Amino acid sequence: MSDELDEIQAIFFEECAEGLATAEEGLSAMAAGDVSSEVIAGVFRAVHSIKGGSGAFGHAALLAFSHRFENVLDEVRGGKIVPTPEVTKTMLAAFDLLSDHVAAAQGHAGLPNDAEMLVELDRILETKGASAGGAAPAAAPAPVEAAPVADEMGFVPVVVELDDFDADPFGFEPVGVSLEDFDAPAPTLGGWIIRFRPSRAAMANGAEPMFVIRELEESGARVIGVDSVSLPDLRDLDPEESYLEWTLAMPAETEESVIRDCFDFVAPDSKIEIAREDVPQAAPVVVETAAVAEVPVVEAAPADAAVAPSAPVAVAAPAPKAAAPATEGKTVEAAQTIRVDLLKLDLLLNLVGELVIRGSILNDRLSPRDQERVELPELARLTREIQDNVMSLRAQPIRQAFSRVPRMLRDLSAETGKQVILETTGEMTEVDKGVIEKIGDPLTHMIRNAVDHGVESPAERIAAGKSPEGTIRLSAEQKGARIFVRVSDDGRGINRERVRAKAIEKGIISADAVLSNEEIDQLICAPGFSTAETISNISGRGVGMDVVRSNVEALGGRVEIHSTPGEGTTFTMALPLTLAILDGMIVRFAEQRYVLPLANVIEAVRPEAGQVQPMTPTSEVMELRGSYLPVKRLSEMFGLAANDPRSPEDSLVIIVDSEAGNVGLMVDAIDDRREVVIKSLDENLHPIRGIGGATILGDGSIALILDIDALLSGASHSNTKYTPKGIAA
Amino acid sequence: MTPTNVEAIAAADRKIVTFILGKQVFGIDMKSLIEIREWEEPTPLPSVPHFIRGVTNLRGTVVPVVGLSERLGWEPSVLHSRSCILVVNISGKRAGFLVDHVADIIPIDDADIQPAPDVEVGEQGIISGLVQVPNKIQAGDEASTESGTMVLLLDLEALNVTGHLDLAA
Repeated sequence: MSDELDEIQAIFFEECAEGLATAEEGLSAMAAGDVSSEVIAGVFRAVHSIKGGSGAFGHAALLAFSHRFENVLDEVRGGKIVPTPEVTKTMLAAFDLLSDHVAAAQGHAGLPNDAEMLVELDRILETKGASAGGAAPAAAPAPVEAAPVADEMGFVPVVVELDDFDADPFGFEPVGVSLEDFDAPAPTLGGWIIRFRPSRAAMANGAEPMFVIRELEESGARVIGVDSVSLPDLRDLDPEESYLEWTLAMPAETEESVIRDCFDFVAPDSKIEIAREDVPQAAPVVVETAAVAEVPVVEAAPADAAVAPSAPVAVAAPAPKAAAPATEGKTVEAAQTIRVDLLKLDLLLNLVGELVIRGSILNDRLSPRDQERVELPELARLTREIQDNVMSLRAQPIRQAFSRVPRMLRDLSAETGKQVILETTGEMTEVDKGVIEKIGDPLTHMIRNAVDHGVESPAERIAAGKSPEGTIRLSAEQKGARIFVRVSDDGRGINRERVRAKAIEKGIISADAVLSNEEIDQLICAPGFSTAETISNISGRGVGMDVVRSNVEALGGRVEIHSTPGEGTTFTMALPLTLAILDGMIVRFAEQRYVLPLANVIEAVRPEAGQVQPMTPTSEVMELRGSYLPVKRLSEMFGLAANDPRSPEDSLVIIVDSEAGNVGLMVDAIDDRREVVIKSLDENLHPIRGIGGATILGDGSIALILDIDALLSGASHSNTKYTPKGIAA
Repeated sequence: MTPTNVEAIAAADRKIVTFILGKQVFGIDMKSLIEIREWEEPTPLPSVPHFIRGVTNLRGTVVPVVGLSERLGWEPSVLHSRSCILVVNISGKRAGFLVDHVADIIPIDDADIQPAPDVEVGEQGIISGLVQVPNKIQAGDEASTESGTMVLLLDLEALNVTGHLDLAA
């Protein structure tokens, strides 16, 4: 029993996490100026369902806090509190506390101190959001008042932001454009007609249609019809199926959200239609519950037209409104979705991986003629298709990783006094969930760097003839099997003199090293370049960039830096689309097979006698077309060397491209070239430097996947035997 | 032993699986056991503690194989026909332990578990307790007395074989 409860509770916390993400996104949008009703409703719904669940599970503190928060949001939603920047700021702070409360309910943290915030929320409720007592209770929803209120609340600078908006289709909506959303519904709007037919799933989940209908009736609805056409004969009746469809009428002045709320806990595949009666402008809106958020957009359209002449700021409203559905994808997902435990997807991916492996076994064992006879190529094609589809199930728009950036920038702006505008493109680019999870950290560092070291202070910018606000562009795009994530700023660029001086001081390069500009830029990613004391006395870049590089490399990606002094810096992360599959070369040494990522391989050479020569007792070089390359014996690096090492002439040297330049790796033989399914080692063990993972070969044996860059940069450590903590060896 | 079998027994009260390592009889909680496999040479790993013999393929997952004897600081186990791998679950991670052979599944009473004497063993907590079981396990002579056989209960967590080791980068 308690297990079951835990399970349900786990789902609740999962929903909390989702709700928090939605709320954060919405509040961020509000802070950025988008106070349209769909954004506010989104935040409200998120907090509302957190409240609902917390009550059900007896998290009293969370319930109390989310309830108070919801009250404020409800008033904002109802237009009784104007979401001024101050109010939004308070709500962002309240959101932080709400996150803490959820963490506390999960037992991840102590109970936060919310006393102050509760007082603050109450104050907002009482004063209706007026910052100075009494000023704005008049901020009522009457349309006539919209324009003056806008002026009073300081929305005039909006005009400037509108220009910015034109320049950037993904920019933020100006504050105030959506005041019209708080208007009372235009009198031309007809009453609501609601059609409700619970799905079989809803019934199976114990949904009780009667409760929903009663709740609707309490809100003023009345049942005007029950459709029993699909009711079968008694002998065909399936008691678990639902056959009835109710039609209800609701007075026109009812808020649509009130109706929606009644359906909050109805399974999403149920038929729920909410439409206005006889409205010429707004076509009847028919949506499945998954598409709920689309409604207010359509609904707002006639209102825009009505208010436009009286409020100058509203002129631009239709444009951002049109842009909103395209950019704010989350709230307008038209497709039906289903929530799936990630573990199940992982398992599926694993199984498909197994299938691919079995396919390659058949491929190995059957003669080409037999392969044709059993239609193996067709099977392989199908398998590949299933694999692609399963991988696409794990693909998510990268905006999940981007969504935290606006909030971060706000905090950074407050911290540094620098003004920054964010422009985002390509946020719907889809990437494997694993990749999204892992780029969060590097992205944070890159944004931080752009603000800390790239963008100048407003005074400095004006002196340099730039606009006082810096611009940070965040973009994602897919090219082939890679995704490129860029963070660029229009700041001062990398100060190469200082970077160079710092690198010499740190002993990373020698004082007389001759480096190209690109090489100097790369230095900021060098381990040891950025240490705490460099923050204060170097004005280039560098804080934490080694972390960025190592994280990105751990994902099989790389970081590029491009900087123009005075004009700005661009960081590019080139990442694989998925962490699950790798194009590899299967090599053999020390009686084991290993996978070399094909991306690193330049060529394979069979050395002739004398081509590989010792340089020092422990190092060898190979002469190749007139130049000398370092050569490493992998079996020695792995501590697997036989007593009687092979002669280079019996080996193959595979030239690979690595951070350390081109290096020859000596192996015994090349077996094959194929796509391999990457299995993580740290799932059951821990990461091993130089090993990017493992794969399972056709015969069921394991081959380790070499992480070339880590292997070569950490070569001197690779033979270290580690002693685990606490063992007296 | 089939998986269903294992599950059925696990569903009962507290059970331990006993196995022989050298001359000692050890026991682990039945609940941690996933399966028992025949010994199969694992794929060696570079840069890991010596007691990790490598990794093996457990139905599509890569699982480390640990020489339990080495881990406990004794001589490495000598492989023979009854050598086998106990695949266990340690807080969500899986690992295989090489043991000399599996002996029995025994129900025990928590009250019968004695705390391990505080002898100087270098590592605290690996032996979570001692329990005496009726004399039917054929182990080395030292382990059994007239009254029964001493079983050392292993604390798998304390072995810390799958945890993130402090890798000097």
